[in-house]
Amino acid sequence: MAKKKEEDKTEINRTEKEQTLSLEDAFAQIEELIGRLEAEDITLEQSFAEYNRGMALLAQCNETLDRVEKKVLKINEDGGLDEF
Amino acid sequence: MQNVYTVAQINSYIRNMFTQDFMMQKVRIRGEVSNCKYHTSGHIYFTLKDAKSAISCVMFSSDRKGLPFRMTEGQQIIVSGSVDVYERDGKYQIYARQIELDGIGALYEKYEQLKAELAERGMFAEEYKRPIPRYIRVLGVVTAETGAAVRDIINVATRRNPYVQVILYPAIVQGDAAVPSIINGIRALERLRVDTIIVGRGGGSIEDLWAFNEEAVAQAVFDCSIPVISAVGHETDVTITDFVADLRAPTPSAAAELAVCDFGQLEERMTAYACTMQRLCRRTVQSNRNRAEQYRVRLRYLSPLYILRTRKTQSVTLEERLQAAMERKLQEKRHRLALYAAQMKGLSPLDKLSQGYAYAADTEGRTLSSVEQVAVGEQIRVYVKDGSLLAQVQEKEHGEKKGRR
Repeated sequence: MAKKKEEDKTEINRTEKEQTLSLEDAFAQIEELIGRLEAEDITLEQSFAEYNRGMALLAQCNETLDRVEKKVLKINEDGGLDEF
Repeated sequence: MQNVYTVAQINSYIRNMFTQDFMMQKVRIRGEVSNCKYHTSGHIYFTLKDAKSAISCVMFSSDRKGLPFRMTEGQQIIVSGSVDVYERDGKYQIYARQIELDGIGALYEKYEQLKAELAERGMFAEEYKRPIPRYIRVLGVVTAETGAAVRDIINVATRRNPYVQVILYPAIVQGDAAVPSIINGIRALERLRVDTIIVGRGGGSIEDLWAFNEEAVAQAVFDCSIPVISAVGHETDVTITDFVADLRAPTPSAAAELAVCDFGQLEERMTAYACTMQRLCRRTVQSNRNRAEQYRVRLRYLSPLYILRTRKTQSVTLEERLQAAMERKLQEKRHRLALYAAQMKGLSPLDKLSQGYAYAADTEGRTLSSVEQVAVGEQIRVYVKDGSLLAQVQEKEHGEKKGRR
């Protein structure tokens, strides 16, 4: 039977945040939270709490987003990286 | 007159020509399978043809071990056997002893075999498919360094997200070196911990794409701990790698679309989330404000101040009524007074003056009622009906009405 190889590789280009919260997870949380905000009987306190949490999540998402343009890289014979 | 032969004699003669021809006894013929019939007797009848010509073939059941696969229409095969004449019908045909798939045909066969085998092993199963992340920062690409595929992938990926890091493993994608090269590429990118890997190449013949049908490549894709999108050839080319990959893209461009999210859309989505949250929050604030306003209005009617004000208004009204009533009363009394005044006037002493009486006063205006009040020589004023007279006292005479001083 087939078996998947274990992950034991070193990491590059990675931030802590990205590992703790993926964009998908954050979006899912925000959508849930919007669902709660939509409820007619939400209290003002709850509403503010959800809103603050949502904005914090969005801020985290924003931090996750990389906004630095990159050159395409190419792996050379020695396993190093060159510009393509 | 020449000899006359029977049909059998002629057919026999011709057959003899075939059997004496060494080449006809052991020959290999390439062609396409047509009209293939597996007879219940175990013999197989078919026609071998190419673009120009066709020839009947038969494989007897006793030779069936020379056929390792099931023949189907259109297969390219190489038949080994002899060409002989069937005397009864006067037809020549190939008596096949061995049949093998030719070239592409053989590849198809191998493909089907490997596909069945890997499917059997569960390597195509959905449960092993890794989800393709929606947002990635680093995209690994295993493909040829030159050609349309790599350009398409880079163009589409960077158009969708200009900030994505593309790392290319320049792989050999056809020929004998392709299999180890592709496998090395997958492993190298896996070591770099890219987010998603695209493995593929542009279109080509089945031989060109063959490396992607090799078990070792399929195994490497399967073993890869990072999601792999396959993009081999055109839409219609489906390789073993496509079945094993976590996602199959019809073309390299499509693979880049699937791997890299549209950054603009992502940002729009985040903005939309923020707007929605703000709107909902504001709505809640507004509805609470409305409720507060309702309470405020209700409370105002119940407040001591309001009650006080209401009472005050009432008291003002009462006061006005009171005043009006008082005014009326006064008016009435005033009228009464005027009436009395008129009556009194009739009885007034002053009226007496008009009847010839006068009264005297000293110069200070004090009414004189006694001789003692003035001295002789002093001036006094005498008031009559139509005015007053200034007079001087000549002498005093005491009367008897008032006692002397």
